[in-house]
Amino acid sequence: MTTEPPAAAVPPPSFAIVKRRLSFFGLTLDECIQVFFGGNAFVAVVVLALITYFLFREGSQFFGQNRQNLTVYRQAGLEYVDFMRRQEQAHTALTRGLFELRMRAVVDLTERQKLSLADANQRLAGFDDYAGRFDDAIGPLRGMVADLTEVATAIKTKFTINEDKMEERQQLLEAGRVAESEAVKVEAVDFERELAPILGTKEAYLEINRALKAEFATLLQRMPPAPTPALQVEVERFKVKVQAYLDTFPSIEANLAAWDYRRPVPLWKAFSAYLFGRQWLTASFWQDWYGVVPLFVGSLMVSAVALFLAIPLGVGAAVYVNQIASAREQRFIKPCIEFISAFPSVVLGFFGIAVLGEALRSMSQVTWLQWLPGFPIAERLNALTAGCLLGLIAIPTIFTLAEDALQNVPRSFKEASYALGATRLQTITRIVVPAGLSGIISAVLLGLGRVIGETMVVLLCAGNRIAIPDFTEGLGAFVQPVHTMTGIVAQEMGEVVRGGIHYRALFVVGIFLFFLSLGINFLAQKIVRRYRISVG
Amino acid sequence: MSTPVSHPFQAKPSLSRTFESGVFWLFRSAAYLVLACGAFVFADIVIKGAPAVFKTSFPFVNTVFLTEAPESLCVFDYEGQKREMGDREFRAFREQEAARAAAEGRKAPEIKATSFVYSAGGIFPCIVGTVLLVVGSMTIALTLGVASAIYLSEYARQGPVVAFIRLAILNLAGVPSIVFGLFGMGMFVIFLEWNVSLLAGWFTLAFMVLPVVITASEESLKSVPKGFREGSLALGATKWQTIRKAVLPYALPGILTSSILGVARVAGETAPIMFTAAYVVRDKLPWQDLQSAGDFFFQGVMALPYHIYVVSSKIPQNEYTERVQYGTAFVFLFIVALIAASSIVLRTKLRGRYKW
Repeated sequence: MTTEPPAAAVPPPSFAIVKRRLSFFGLTLDECIQVFFGGNAFVAVVVLALITYFLFREGSQFFGQNRQNLTVYRQAGLEYVDFMRRQEQAHTALTRGLFELRMRAVVDLTERQKLSLADANQRLAGFDDYAGRFDDAIGPLRGMVADLTEVATAIKTKFTINEDKMEERQQLLEAGRVAESEAVKVEAVDFERELAPILGTKEAYLEINRALKAEFATLLQRMPPAPTPALQVEVERFKVKVQAYLDTFPSIEANLAAWDYRRPVPLWKAFSAYLFGRQWLTASFWQDWYGVVPLFVGSLMVSAVALFLAIPLGVGAAVYVNQIASAREQRFIKPCIEFISAFPSVVLGFFGIAVLGEALRSMSQVTWLQWLPGFPIAERLNALTAGCLLGLIAIPTIFTLAEDALQNVPRSFKEASYALGATRLQTITRIVVPAGLSGIISAVLLGLGRVIGETMVVLLCAGNRIAIPDFTEGLGAFVQPVHTMTGIVAQEMGEVVRGGIHYRALFVVGIFLFFLSLGINFLAQKIVRRYRISVG
Repeated sequence: MSTPVSHPFQAKPSLSRTFESGVFWLFRSAAYLVLACGAFVFADIVIKGAPAVFKTSFPFVNTVFLTEAPESLCVFDYEGQKREMGDREFRAFREQEAARAAAEGRKAPEIKATSFVYSAGGIFPCIVGTVLLVVGSMTIALTLGVASAIYLSEYARQGPVVAFIRLAILNLAGVPSIVFGLFGMGMFVIFLEWNVSLLAGWFTLAFMVLPVVITASEESLKSVPKGFREGSLALGATKWQTIRKAVLPYALPGILTSSILGVARVAGETAPIMFTAAYVVRDKLPWQDLQSAGDFFFQGVMALPYHIYVVSSKIPQNEYTERVQYGTAFVFLFIVALIAASSIVLRTKLRGRYKW
């Protein structure tokens, strides 16, 4: 007799195939693979985060350094001297105005009234005397500014040397060479004493200013009549300018009186000096400025030219290919434009240097084109040259996305329009394009993002002059050389000291560009999502 | 001659019809103007660059230009003749002349040459560097990108996380290339202390093309019909087996061809490699004089786009630089155009072949 053991558990059912599942940390192989892919999916997020982190890691200290930079500017008295210098420079601008007036008078006299050059000069003798006296008036102030410039520069140099020594001592200390570090002598700069020669000129300055005021007042009254009646308007305008200049004197005096080297520079000043600074000036003997405005304006101008060309051409081509062209033309044009998008930007930049710049300049010298603003072009490489090439870069982007947007307009819209008796043109302009408008606008925005971020073309073709173009020339400003945000990073990054303020300033430009492009992208997506047509 | 049969629905000439065709011509000219501009740039580079690369005599290709390193060009007058020679050739020539003069018992002739940098020799190291950069960065980008696309198209369910990832991909696509350059410098060159190296360039470029690769791969994966997956799962295959055997093989050609456009982008960019991988000039080829295998990854290289930048704006311009400028631009454009054209052609072919 056999007793069966009590069945404690139900025996596992026997299958023909028994499969053992591998497991790691309680996950099956399949789940592991899923986790692996899932982790990879986040790579885009991680990269974005890394970009943000490393840009800030290198760039964020800039504002502290810039504050220090501005503090030295104040403490060494450079700011004080700059108040006076600005007064002097305003006068120089006025004198230049007088000379331009004279030039026009000469042209007027010789060409209209047919006088000989000698006669014209004689006629202008009185005017020349006046201009000479006007120019000489500033002499004492100019001398004072020159003297003080030297003093202030000396203080700044002393301070910089001290900074270097302090750093050297720090490095020696870190290397454990205490004795040597103590041998490095650092004398703190006594600003009070150093600034004494500058502040001591206060009285003398007021004296000079008083004399200046009196001189200009008499000069204003003795202004000779315009050499030719046509210029009388200009003379009146000049008088107004001089009066306005005189009116700025009290505020300059007040500035100088209120100036105190001990006043700390607030941190927001470091930000605003960067964001709204109108000068990007590096490696100068006087004072370095890191103002992003000229670069930003340059980027905007180049982009404006590019979009001015790319929007009509890109959108026009998209409408043509999507709505008008035959199937055969479509098959030909679409790959060709895609092919243009593969042109490397550095090749286009080289083309701009080698061919387009010169071609545009010689075109601008043709006589019957002289009515165009800014023609003839002075510089071969300018915002216009770069803008034209960037237009060629933006066109494929705008074309492809706009064509997609038109493609996505439901067929029924078009059919309904035809059914109501609309012509093809009416259907395109009233139905299809408005329906795809959100897509087209976002295409243009993405094109703008592409253009603002483009580096090589602007670096090679924009002319690289760091200055806000002269907008008094109207549209002529677009044929002046500019420098751009992308261009400055590419150009100067190779030459700067790692960790220095200039280096950090370039990284801050990078941060600015990064967020600008994110903003443009965000806007483009928002527009697509907000105005998407729903078919229902 | 037969007059067309008139019928009541025949199009009659009218003002609005003329206007319409006029507007259509405007659109048409916009499209063709774009093509003309592109063709003009292309033709200019090809026509002026071809003489530097091709010759009229056998073997019809300027092998010196394609297989040697750049060197200075020496121009000098010798025995009443103006001669142009590369630096190395010039030195050999000078020695040979000195030896000849010594044999004849004369004083060695003094040859004074003016030299022009980079105007002689070839661009072989640049081609090698560009190929290395492209191969390495595309390997990294494809690995990361395809894995990411597999998750997005096969595993992920629609939800806030996936939406967030997609947003990140879209935004990454819009980041300017110079910002990638700065990032690569900050992270790889400085923080990880890789210095200016191939590896730093690879990762910088790979991150830059990642959005292109992910989008292209996802599209190809999505275009594989659902039935393939369902059939495989119904036969008892696991998810991974399904992906590996029933989805990837059919999506792979599409992934590769679409990614070729990414290759063109990688090869064409200058800004990201300026501070991360490119040298202005380097005597040694990447495989010469390596201390250890690891050194291969930590060396900078010369690259075609950067070389174009250097020869077109960093060196003094003269009559001799144009040859190397146009020659380099031609070779570079040719390579990029070949890549892009093959992508476009392959894609059209593929669309015809896989129809389910």
